[in-house]
Amino acid sequence: MKYRNPQIPEGINTSDRHPLKEFATLAGGAVLLIVALGWLMGQVAGSLAGLLPFEKEMALVPKELLSSDAGPELQAYLDRLADRLGQDMDLPEGMQVRVHFSGNDTFNAFATLGGNILLFRGLVEALPHENALSMLLAHEIAHVLHRDPIVGIGRGAAIRLVTGLLLGSPDLAVLGSAGIYTQLHYSRGMERAADAAALRAVHQRYGHIGGAAELFNILRAERERSGGGEMPAFFSSHPLDLDRLQTITATARQQGWHENGQATPLPAAFNDWMQDAAGRAAIPEGQRQVRSD
Amino acid sequence: MYDLLLLLVLLALGYGFGQYAERRHYRSIVEREARLNALPAIASRYPPAEPHYQHALVTGSTVVSVDYFKRFLAALRNLFGGRVTSYESLLDRARRESLLRMKQQARTLGAVMVFNVKYETASISKGAGKTIGSVEVLAYGTALIPTPSR
Repeated sequence: MKYRNPQIPEGINTSDRHPLKEFATLAGGAVLLIVALGWLMGQVAGSLAGLLPFEKEMALVPKELLSSDAGPELQAYLDRLADRLGQDMDLPEGMQVRVHFSGNDTFNAFATLGGNILLFRGLVEALPHENALSMLLAHEIAHVLHRDPIVGIGRGAAIRLVTGLLLGSPDLAVLGSAGIYTQLHYSRGMERAADAAALRAVHQRYGHIGGAAELFNILRAERERSGGGEMPAFFSSHPLDLDRLQTITATARQQGWHENGQATPLPAAFNDWMQDAAGRAAIPEGQRQVRSD
Repeated sequence: MYDLLLLLVLLALGYGFGQYAERRHYRSIVEREARLNALPAIASRYPPAEPHYQHALVTGSTVVSVDYFKRFLAALRNLFGGRVTSYESLLDRARRESLLRMKQQARTLGAVMVFNVKYETASISKGAGKTIGSVEVLAYGTALIPTPSR
């Protein structure tokens, strides 16, 4: 008996499909899948989060966010302004807005969970009159009214969870870190809706929308000054300032609102209040008073 | 961002070195297979009784490790299912290399053929989290060495 090994042709146990081609197909598919799933989960989680009662939302706010560097007069002034705007915007029963003021020179302002709004001295100091400040406050109140913070957090958490699970490092401690309360990103639609609601409120209060456009001009100037790098929450708002300005003009024309009018000045002592807040901010973190209302 | 960059660099390195090594290895395998073809490796358990042969155990073992690119491709395959072609060529190389080493050992012993040839595989980093997976492929058989006629 003669034993021998025949020559076996190549390519039976292997595939001659180019590995890069396979990589492109698979990676493309995976990216599509992650994006689609993340988007879907984000939408679902966002609308679920919007159903959370406002009282429950208030319980989610970390205490350290609630400190305020405002002196009593400034705080009273901001509270009064926010109250009036809240009334104009028909905040529902039980939804209460609380304004906090940071003496930091950060150029920013944002609304977070539980109706808490944080204004920074850096931005507020740059505002020329009360109308612009009202527009800023009304914009943040509108986020609270629309439940944007909780929807945004719910959306972000779901997206992080999905991508984390698919990429193998799920971050399940979604509500654990305080960072997310200050780094909220709202969708373009949310910003548009907040702008529209704020504009209506400002018009109702002052009879014209003169200060509103001013606010966006200041934001734009700051963006150009800082070179458009890392943008704080208020401006990373996706509709570009120019777009927002144009939308304001268009809305005003459509509604027959006056675009210009007599601006209401800020209180005479406003600059002193700012200095006072800046002084408080300079006190080390541990010795500061935490507001407990 | 840096993570993504690192991933791309690792993928490119894995692809570059992996493909280069694979092509070179296949060339060597084909060439040695042709050379050792004269020494058949047979799966049958019943060696010819005549003429009288001396028997010896011969083994050939290869340990292969997967490169970053192949591993990434296989991980993507986990998502969709289907042929894990990136591992197929790797294991094909390991099997053929093991058989070649076994034959080489048999030839060194002066054997004319190897009977009862079998393969075994063992995963080296089984279950060890994120370590790069390595697999041993072992080929073994009974070498038949002609005894000098008395």
